[in-house]
This record gives sequence, structure tokens and C-alpha cells, in this order.
Amino acid sequence: MNKRIGLYPGCVMPTEQYGYEISIRQVLPELGIELIDVGNTSCCGAPFKNINIFMQTYLSARNIAVFEMKGLDIFTPCPQCNLSLQETKQRIEGSAELNERILTMLEEEEGLKYRGDAKIYQTLDLLHDVVGTAALAEKVIEPLDLNIACHYGCQTVRYTGAERPDIAEHPMKMERIITAIGGRTGDYSEKLNCCGGPLIITHRESSFTKAGEKIKAVKDRGFDALSIVCPLGGRVLDSKQDKASEMVGEKLDLPVFYLTQLVGLSLGKSPGELGIDLNRSPAGRSLK
Amino acid sequence: MSKPVKTDTKELERELRVLGLGSPDLCFQCSRCTSGCEAMKLLELQPHFVMASVRSGFIREMVNSDALWACVGCYKCRERCPQNVSPVEIMYLLKNKYVRSGRSIPGDYQTMLQNLMTCGFIQKNIEVLDNKGNLHERSELGLPEIEGVSDVSKFMELISRLAIEKICGERV
Repeated sequence: MNKRIGLYPGCVMPTEQYGYEISIRQVLPELGIELIDVGNTSCCGAPFKNINIFMQTYLSARNIAVFEMKGLDIFTPCPQCNLSLQETKQRIEGSAELNERILTMLEEEEGLKYRGDAKIYQTLDLLHDVVGTAALAEKVIEPLDLNIACHYGCQTVRYTGAERPDIAEHPMKMERIITAIGGRTGDYSEKLNCCGGPLIITHRESSFTKAGEKIKAVKDRGFDALSIVCPLGGRVLDSKQDKASEMVGEKLDLPVFYLTQLVGLSLGKSPGELGIDLNRSPAGRSLK
Repeated sequence: MSKPVKTDTKELERELRVLGLGSPDLCFQCSRCTSGCEAMKLLELQPHFVMASVRSGFIREMVNSDALWACVGCYKCRERCPQNVSPVEIMYLLKNKYVRSGRSIPGDYQTMLQNLMTCGFIQKNIEVLDNKGNLHERSELGLPEIEGVSDVSKFMELISRLAIEKICGERV
């Protein structure tokens, strides 16, 4: 399996969640996915749905057009970016009025041509469906000796209809990937709960409380670690886990990994090569 | 006493049509949106109440409601609505109206907008600590430089223009 795909970095991953990006760049090429960097990307507009939905739609459309003009499908490691791009495709397809306004503006303002036929992937479908769990399992050198809880993230799986990579109310692809790389996993009733990440913009303390509640639930159920695929999730569940601990009044110390870091470990890469030393939760310690 | 405003309802319905979304008129108050709402327990957001108010024409009251800003955007309300109404997106549109009224925007959005205009992203590269307490910049981590928007000053003008556009044009 060989595929060339454009890497759309978004905002949060390339400016602070470096461990996610490092592991993506280390792992995917080894699995036959060639990542292409293109210039002229910007924010997808997702956070600005709250401010101006037209602006969000334009920003997503412009980023789709940037990749389409290079003839590339798109990989969005961030689920928020992915939803914003997917729903923009649908809106432009569904409304003649919006189609005309956005396409004209793209052309006139930035010389961009939008077609809307690029495929847009997330980490989950790229690993599970494009690479495939059987092909992944064949490459495993160091089976993962951990019991991992999976956190999908809200916009990874919702809403149905916006080409999500898994079933909204019962996603299982991350568990199947964990199993393919030798890890153990299981269900827990808080699996679909929000991490509180987006709340950091307007309700900082509540954001950390939600993150703390989620981490505590995972810990109380005896998992060794948590696997994530969302940079906003990484920010509150990993980078700011100490703040989440304060809010729930308990030292949480739950190792949190990006799924791509776990896959990298199973391929025999060292924690250093995968940016695991940048995880602020005790991820590195859990491997010794 | 508040009175329902019919023209506000018409405008919202037009915006929803452009986005391909159903009218809140279809809501029969089953409250599945609220029972699954991620901002309900902690921040008392009740999407079914917002839908009932909007349906009755009390749109200005909802535009002024702080509670809407507690929405995390989890999309459970849209996912679970048996009537294909999307409370999350109706709330986005209500917040858009609040922003258009020119009042101050809550939280960090102003800073994020500023960054969007000056660098094309919501934030600039941040130095991070590793688990031994050492600081790292992106450039030291072996990651390539991200080439953002080609023409930053033109992009800045574009964002200022976009900020005053509405999801549907002025035509009635």
C-alpha cells in the first residue's frame, strides 16, 4: 500500500502539540503513507464558528482548494479541522447561493480554484482503513504491553453524515488498532465523554474540570494509559493534566499518548523518536 | 415583558436553509439534546430550552444569553435529535448575531482573531517543556517550518472583509 497525501497541519498541532506531529511524521511514511507539505495553509476556521460561520466556511474552503490545486487528498490530524473541512464540502454542495459566493470570493481574493472532490482523512481512518489493521499487525516488532483506554474525541466521530471515520455512538476502530499492535483495551462508560478541550477558550476552569473527570474515570477503571487522536484533547488531557488534577483534587498521573506514538513504539521506534519526552503526563515513565 | 419577533425568526430560518439545516419549528421538546449535553451539568446549558425559545420567536433573548458560550461543540445534540434539528448550529448562528451586534466577544476569541489576521493561525509557535523541565522551540525538534499564507497583508484584509459577511446575503 502506497499513498501520497497532503498534510494539513491546522493550528494547535504545529504550534504546541509537537509530539503528535513528530510521531505522525515518523510513523506514517513507514506504513506506506507519503506525507506532502504544501505552503499557503491557514486556520480552518473551526473555532470561529462561534464568531462567523461564513468566515469559517470560507477558511475551510480555501484550505481544501490549496490542496486540490496540487492534486492532493488531505490528511487532517485534527478532528476539528476535519469536521470543518467535511461540513464545508457539504454546505457548498448543498447551497447554490453559498457555492457561488464562496467560489467567486476564493477566485477573486486568492486566485484559488475549489472543486470539492479531494478526500479528507483523519488519523483513525488512515491507520485503520488505508493502512489496515492486518498490514499494521505485520509490521509490529515490539507488541505493546499496556492496557489502553481509547478516547476518540467529540468531533472525530460526530456528526454522522459528515463522513466520520467511525460509528458515532459506538466507535471501535481505535480499539482494533490498539489490539493490532499488541495492546490490551476495553470499554468504559465515559468513553464518549468530552475532554473539555474547546471550553478552554471561554471557561478555563470548567475545561480542566471536565478533563480531570475524564482522566479520573479512566484511571479508576484500571487502565494503564489513555490513547488520543486530537490536539485539543492533548492540550487538556496531557499538557495541562496538572491543572486537571487540581480541579478534581487528586494527583492523576495518567500516562496519555497520541495513538501514533503508540503505533510508533510497536514498530520498534524509541520514545525519543516519537516525541514522547514532550508528553507532560507520565507517558515515558509507564514504558520502563 | 419580552415579545416574540417574527422577522428574527424568518432571518434565522433563512440562515439555516443556506446551511442545509432544519427549522427549530420541528422540535417537539423531547430534550434528548439536553440529556446528552456536555455543558449541561457543569455550566447549565439546556439546548431544548434554547430551541423552545427560538421556536417561539424569542431570538434576541437567546442571543443575549451567556449560557450559549458554554457549548463545547460536541455535536451530541445534532447526532441525537429525532427531528434532524441541530441545536449546536442554531447556537452558533445565535452567537454570530451577538458578535455582529458589536459587543465584546467572550474569552480568548479576540486574541485568536488577532493571531489569525497576523499569522493565519489562531496562535504562534509556543515553546514547550519536556518531561525533564527543558524548554523546546518547534525548530529544535527536527520539524519542518510550516509555510503559512503566502501573502500575510492581503490575508489580513481578507479576514477583515470576511468578518462582516453573513452566511446568507441581504436578499429577503
